[in-house]
Amino acid sequence: MQRIKVLIVDDSRISCAMISDILKKTNFDVVATAASAAEAVEKYREHHPDAVTMDMNLPDANGIDCTKRIREVDNEARILMISAMRDMSLMMQGREAGITSFLQKPIKANELIEALTFLCQEKLTRVGAMKEMYVKSFAQVLEKSLFGLVGVHSEVQVEVSEGHYLDVDGIAVIIGLTGTPMGRAIVYMDYGTMKDFACALVGKDPGDEMSDEDASDAVEEAANIIIGHGASTINDLKEKEMRISPPGTIVGSNIRIANFKMTSFRLKAETRLGVIYVNIGFAEGE
Amino acid sequence: MDAKLVNPFVDALVTVLPQMGFDVPKRAGMSVANQMCNSLGVSIIVGFTKGLRGNVVYNMSENAAKFIASKMMMGMPVDELNDMAQSALSEMSNMLTANAATNLAGMGYTVDISTPSLTVGQDFKIKISSAQYLVVKMDLGGEILELNIAVQ
Repeated sequence: MQRIKVLIVDDSRISCAMISDILKKTNFDVVATAASAAEAVEKYREHHPDAVTMDMNLPDANGIDCTKRIREVDNEARILMISAMRDMSLMMQGREAGITSFLQKPIKANELIEALTFLCQEKLTRVGAMKEMYVKSFAQVLEKSLFGLVGVHSEVQVEVSEGHYLDVDGIAVIIGLTGTPMGRAIVYMDYGTMKDFACALVGKDPGDEMSDEDASDAVEEAANIIIGHGASTINDLKEKEMRISPPGTIVGSNIRIANFKMTSFRLKAETRLGVIYVNIGFAEGE
Repeated sequence: MDAKLVNPFVDALVTVLPQMGFDVPKRAGMSVANQMCNSLGVSIIVGFTKGLRGNVVYNMSENAAKFIASKMMMGMPVDELNDMAQSALSEMSNMLTANAATNLAGMGYTVDISTPSLTVGQDFKIKISSAQYLVVKMDLGGEILELNIAVQ
């Protein structure tokens, strides 16, 4: 089940504890709490939660101003307003600031879960649909291609990639995906795996002499084949028109590739040559 | 590759950036390079397919990246390349490449673009082409944005 990250903004510790308690046994994870608007913006930037519960009265601003400030960071932030009052003018102001859900204190467990689920429904269904429609095909192709290309068995694990960055020490082959949805795929592995993979690809033994340039060319070609097959499998099955751009290949250490504002998945193949990763990301929105 | 293919990308900069508060960018040099592009610190790669297949890399120093991100965020000071600054840079490369795609369509090439991949690091190289590609340096009021354009 997809985990949903929640930020609680409330200056009352009791309220925070109550909300956390309700969400404890659900698939919502409370990633942070904030007791002021300034702290809320800071925590939002740090955690990029999927949803925010917002108290109306904060020491340094009201919940509507705080919402506006969070929306300056992310104009698609999903915010649930929780307040003691639930009057019409407050709701109107809230709607103008981009709040679509309102709850009145004291909150009931089922109401809170329902409101958050409704707020995040799009994300829940989107991630599920992306995985089913596209990512599973790439995972199957990865498993088959690794066997076909270098004769290694692997079991590919798929998980939602939550990190803001991919940290690469070794090689990363970036391939653009165009069409609907648009995105990009990154095949990456560490330096040793790159060398052994390249040796296996050209029929040498792991550890044999091979220049970095030849090794990276070999991995680039393999990545191109894997992502190309993945895209054509999707096109055949789903009647899509996904195309791939030529690869951009980076070799080096301490390289960070940004991975935010995307719905992305990490495919991990453990093989006897080392661990081979593929990150498939799609742009959010259409 | 055909040198006139830089025009749609340069025109995109000249059209889009002044709308966001930049001075009109000026060409500061053009050259041909082979296969590898040396990152200046921050490199954003955007792929395109269909009528033309290739990559464009928006390549800049960390200082240039901060300057551009700050302009993109309406003058907000940018001391470090945090998520917000990186997001602004990605958005800029997306807008520029989308505009270049429109210009390419005017030349008879229909292209689709991918999402940008922003990469940060010290002294790394990106192989963006198996052959020669074109480099255009653009002066954005003191800071240089380098465009590396590779078409298959």
